[in-house]
Amino acid sequence: MFWKSKPLWGNKTRLKSSYDAVIIGGGLHGLATAYYLAKEHGLTDVAIIEKRFIGFGGAGRNTAIVRANQRTQYNVPLYKEALDLWPVLTKELDYNLMFNNCGNLNLMHSEAAMKAARMTIATAQFHGVESHLIDAKQAKELVPALNISEDITFPIHGAMFHPPGGIVRHDAVVWGLAKGAAKHGVDIHQHTEATAIHTEGGKITGVETSRGRIHTPRVLVSAGGYSAGLIYHMLGIKLPIAVLTIQAMVTQPLKPLLDHVVSSGAYHCYANQTLKGEIATGAHMDQWPNYTTQNTAHYIKHQAEALSDWLPCLRGVKFMRIWGGLADMTPDMAPIMDGNDHYEGFYMDCGWGYFGFKSCSAVGKYMAQYMASGHCPDMLKPFNLRRYENHQLMGETAELVSYTPNN
Amino acid sequence: MNRLNQLPTLRITPSEKLSLNYRGKTVQGVAGDTVATALFANGVRVFARSLKYHRPRGLYSLDGECSNTCMDVNGVPNVRTENTLLKDGMVVREQNVKGSADRDWLAFIDKLDWMMPAGFYYKTMHKPAAIWPVAMKQIRKAAGIGVISADYQMKGQYDEMFIKAEVTVIGGGAAGMTAALAAAESGQRVVLLESRPHLGGCFDYRVSTTAEGTPLYERARDLAEKVKLTGNIRVFKHTSMVGAYNNNLITAFQVGKASDTFTERYIEIRSDSVVVATGCIERPLIFDHNERPGVMQVGCAHRMARTYGLLPGSEAVFSVGHDLGLEAAVDLFDLGLKINCVADIREDGQNPELMLALAERKIPVLKGWVAAKAHGCKKVEKVTLSTVEGTVKRQFPCDLLVASAGLTPVTGPFILAQAKMGYDSHTGYFLPTELPEKMFPAGRITGVNHPGAIEASGRLAGLKAAAAAGADVGKTVAEAEKAASVLPGPERGCKLVTAPVKGRKSFICFDEDTTIKNIKQAIEMGFDVPELIKRFTSAGTGPGQGGIPGHNLPLFVAKYTASISTPVPTTVRPPLVPTFLATYAGYNHHMFKHTPLHDSQIADGGIFRNIGVWQRARYFSADFDCREEILNVRNNVGMLDGSTLGKFRIHGPDALKALQRVYVSDMSKVKEGRIKYSAMCNDDGCVIDDGVVVKLGENDYYFTTSTGRAGQTVEWIRYHTRFDGWDFSLVNLTDAMGVINISGPNARKVLSKVVDIDLSSEAFPFSGYREFLIKDAVFVRAMRLGFVGELSYELHVPSSYTQAVWDLLKEAGAEFGIRNFGVEAQNVLRMEKCHVILGSESEQRTNLLDLGLGFLWDRKKADAKTVGAVALRQAEKDAGRLKLVGIRMEDDDRPARDGALIVDNNVRGYVATMRKSFTTGQAVGMALVESQLADIGTRIEIFEDECNGVRLYARVVATPFYDPKGERMKS
Repeated sequence: MFWKSKPLWGNKTRLKSSYDAVIIGGGLHGLATAYYLAKEHGLTDVAIIEKRFIGFGGAGRNTAIVRANQRTQYNVPLYKEALDLWPVLTKELDYNLMFNNCGNLNLMHSEAAMKAARMTIATAQFHGVESHLIDAKQAKELVPALNISEDITFPIHGAMFHPPGGIVRHDAVVWGLAKGAAKHGVDIHQHTEATAIHTEGGKITGVETSRGRIHTPRVLVSAGGYSAGLIYHMLGIKLPIAVLTIQAMVTQPLKPLLDHVVSSGAYHCYANQTLKGEIATGAHMDQWPNYTTQNTAHYIKHQAEALSDWLPCLRGVKFMRIWGGLADMTPDMAPIMDGNDHYEGFYMDCGWGYFGFKSCSAVGKYMAQYMASGHCPDMLKPFNLRRYENHQLMGETAELVSYTPNN
Repeated sequence: MNRLNQLPTLRITPSEKLSLNYRGKTVQGVAGDTVATALFANGVRVFARSLKYHRPRGLYSLDGECSNTCMDVNGVPNVRTENTLLKDGMVVREQNVKGSADRDWLAFIDKLDWMMPAGFYYKTMHKPAAIWPVAMKQIRKAAGIGVISADYQMKGQYDEMFIKAEVTVIGGGAAGMTAALAAAESGQRVVLLESRPHLGGCFDYRVSTTAEGTPLYERARDLAEKVKLTGNIRVFKHTSMVGAYNNNLITAFQVGKASDTFTERYIEIRSDSVVVATGCIERPLIFDHNERPGVMQVGCAHRMARTYGLLPGSEAVFSVGHDLGLEAAVDLFDLGLKINCVADIREDGQNPELMLALAERKIPVLKGWVAAKAHGCKKVEKVTLSTVEGTVKRQFPCDLLVASAGLTPVTGPFILAQAKMGYDSHTGYFLPTELPEKMFPAGRITGVNHPGAIEASGRLAGLKAAAAAGADVGKTVAEAEKAASVLPGPERGCKLVTAPVKGRKSFICFDEDTTIKNIKQAIEMGFDVPELIKRFTSAGTGPGQGGIPGHNLPLFVAKYTASISTPVPTTVRPPLVPTFLATYAGYNHHMFKHTPLHDSQIADGGIFRNIGVWQRARYFSADFDCREEILNVRNNVGMLDGSTLGKFRIHGPDALKALQRVYVSDMSKVKEGRIKYSAMCNDDGCVIDDGVVVKLGENDYYFTTSTGRAGQTVEWIRYHTRFDGWDFSLVNLTDAMGVINISGPNARKVLSKVVDIDLSSEAFPFSGYREFLIKDAVFVRAMRLGFVGELSYELHVPSSYTQAVWDLLKEAGAEFGIRNFGVEAQNVLRMEKCHVILGSESEQRTNLLDLGLGFLWDRKKADAKTVGAVALRQAEKDAGRLKLVGIRMEDDDRPARDGALIVDNNVRGYVATMRKSFTTGQAVGMALVESQLADIGTRIEIFEDECNGVRLYARVVATPFYDPKGERMKS
């Protein structure tokens, strides 16, 4: 035995009656924010309140894809920074996050999609992020398993190739950040439920938990899919968020087959090979809001049909496991990061939909800055809640609004 | 290897020989063999190497709970050969080996386990950072089991069926069959699913008897015969249940026999109620080297002999915790197996008859003893037995170690159906604390083992399920309950978690090579929830779907963790059995809608594209710039299939009110005989649809929507009028009507040859609407529109006549040189006129004003509560929005590509559509730019992808680019 095992994120601690900051939600964003608060801003008297165990929610259910080829100039720099942080965090946390920067291939199946991709690529290149438009043949060279024939449901016209993206081991990020946060003095309270947020004269005064009351001047709600519900029930703030179940699945483990993350909007489908060899795949959400995280019969069938088309060799592979998580969707597919608005000392970081994983490192850094200083960093300003009141959607999705729960 | 060919329990046909190719050699099996049993008959003992340590692995359970016998069959990786029926000519290869499974060069890794404690990969290989990419490559190579080639083509027919049943019974053992028969009594449609190729379950291979003295295998065959003769039971053998969803939607897949037309088929059953009679598998016994080839579970050893006629060894030791183990020992002894010792974990509670039978055969029995270590590498050579406390040890030679800690119920269907599972301290099972709605357990899953009790519980569950499905079962449920109550109930289960070992080589999960030492390490690192430990150690995440560690992991965690008093089960996820993508995909239909003109568009050389739910002709030649198509419309006349347009009729007393709500214009001003162009916005004022509205009469309108929106329009209007209680009917005519667009200076001449009405500009002016008959038969709604900027008629024709009208026009236009134009030509033509296409010139955040369509909005109809009006009022004062403008390149030979950015130091907008216009000779297009850049004459800087820092320049110009006065389209 090389190493002596010791608790990774500290021993279980008593819940103190007062903290400088309380973070509700022991997911990636909460852990990252706590880590940076303690490490960069000297705010070490921080409690993370987690109802179940760290990484229970989206942190442990996403398919771990990271990239910085978003659509707008507000998002690209944020995700670029997040992408650049993986190697840094690996070193800082002394925990191998297993960043596999294999590159992402986003398939395009129509002239209109190629045009949309060109805009996204130009945006990336303008911000110094590598991204290229390639044709179907070049895509096939990168992913030999790809079917570029004409006789499939959505023939492949080309792809957006984004080399710096890839996959990170999501569980490792949870545990690594927990380790780092605990090392800097953060208390992680698992199996502790936050039940109320107390305010007085427009200021945050404390958080009620299943294990007692905590006095604190600052609270961050970053509870993933549960944030919108918590914020509404605790503070009466209604957010334009619809929570939907999103499913993902893996096949049995295979020797290396896919060297890149490949995704297709038209097929509502993406696939990448984990370091364990499983093909992880998933994509679109239930079309009705629900918090169930339950699987549906036709999702896995749809996925098989789609993959049969564009990665046909996978027909000879077996699905092994499917699971569900929550996506908290805003009307413009961009998150809400805000603070000190409704109540002094109240911060929120939610509405990430299915982008919460790829952003967590950078967001933790900036939310910590926000909470420590009380002032919104420029990077986060476009993500304020008021943009919806002003009908200033962010444009992160090009899709025309359709009949969704948001309308 | 000689088969026991005369056993009445056999499920093989020894006379029917089949051959398979194994590692390049042809070997023989017989009909009814699985691939693994055939190989076993040919002396194969090591089937595979384990994932991490490359340990030799052999037959263990016969039911596929681990990857021990996963092999490559006919190029398909990870096939569970132990329950894949042998077919003649199969080609079988080993996986994850360097060399062969028998001699694997990578076997040395087993000695390096000390370097690989739980989660070691998180703590290593990242210092210095440069190591990681190299290490990662090696990890990728080492990980994974099977290989699939990138060009692999899966052979076979994959069928699918969607059926309805009142009662679905999962599991075709004695309990399942009895349940099916009981449910069928009341006339219910019953579906019975059995994962093995034959019915019978745990009765199928046993010669012990029922209370009446019938051998169990005979009893099973009798029940199977009754099931077969019952018309309303539909039996699916070799069918694995994989999913259970809301309202008892059950999914499964069946493996086809050689005589079937399908290779595999996906089955989806909408069932009113469900009986779960899945029985038990065995709980693996954890001791040192507990997965060596030659260590097998009781059922595996027993079935090898009784079902396949293969004595699993010559000299055996048993280490069991259940009477089935003793029963198997007696029976296998009688079949010729030498048994050196039977160790029973239990101190007492054994069936006295079985103890007597063992004594009669002079088989030594050690009570309170358990296997502590298996010796030997590629096969077991001897075993160390120990007392349960580990105080005394003894060694016995053997080449077969039958090991089992007890039973574990197959509760997957309950877990999938969202049952909360709890630990039952009597049986030691995880059982549902509350049953899911209309789902009933039957047989061994409830803890009973007495054959009579198994059947009685089956009958009870079958009747309950029938009642839940609505059948009148009278007093039979009460009677069945009474009958079951006098029989032995659930048996006390063996609680031993592990043999007294330290656990460095005691495997809790075979697939992932997870030892109990790894679990201890994880717990010490703070992972105290079984679900987390699963993630950290990967135990239970391999191809065996958690069948091996599923029961033991929570038990071990509870035993080892002071803070957990009751074991907490881990989750099981669908599919319960790994399932081919080919099987899930089934037929994999392509589902696109075709217009009424589809075939003729193909015949005319149309090149098609998928547009939403439709397939449309985008080009009519290999010139994707569409020069000829475009010029022909500008100078002559062209025809376009516009049938994909959304088409609706709304009528009823409140029809106008509904239109007022969703359209931004004042729809009360729509005049008969005229068309009105308008748009719909959402609550943010963003444009979601545009189209024309025609008044057919009072509160009776015909309107069109864009192709993409057609499916949602009905819902949109209903949704936005949901609180008003208005009375109107909305009819979607999209598929009922075809649309022919005939455009160009010669359009009138062509049309006048086909219709009788006066087509002069005075009689049928621009923006006019007319209804008439063509050839006195075909009713046509005709509109004069100007989307492409020429004299243009849009004819809406009932779908069944659309082709006929098209052909008439084509014939009439022949003398003018009429020809097709496709969607791309239309795109350029309308772009020259600066007519927007939603989604092309607009995006999600683009509102009506941004598009320059503010003139459509009537602010005065406040009482209509127009959707989006509030936001539009607010946006009027908002300077920070993108505006749609016309732009022209400074270099007319270098149009910017669609999607190019408009920049200074920041992104200020982007090019929506831009083309070199054949008509005007200019490079012109439309762009969405920040309002500060929207004034005519503004020079704008364009950043294109791959521009390498070279910017393009354009100026904002007046729109439209072509025929600004609209004389041509109004002509």
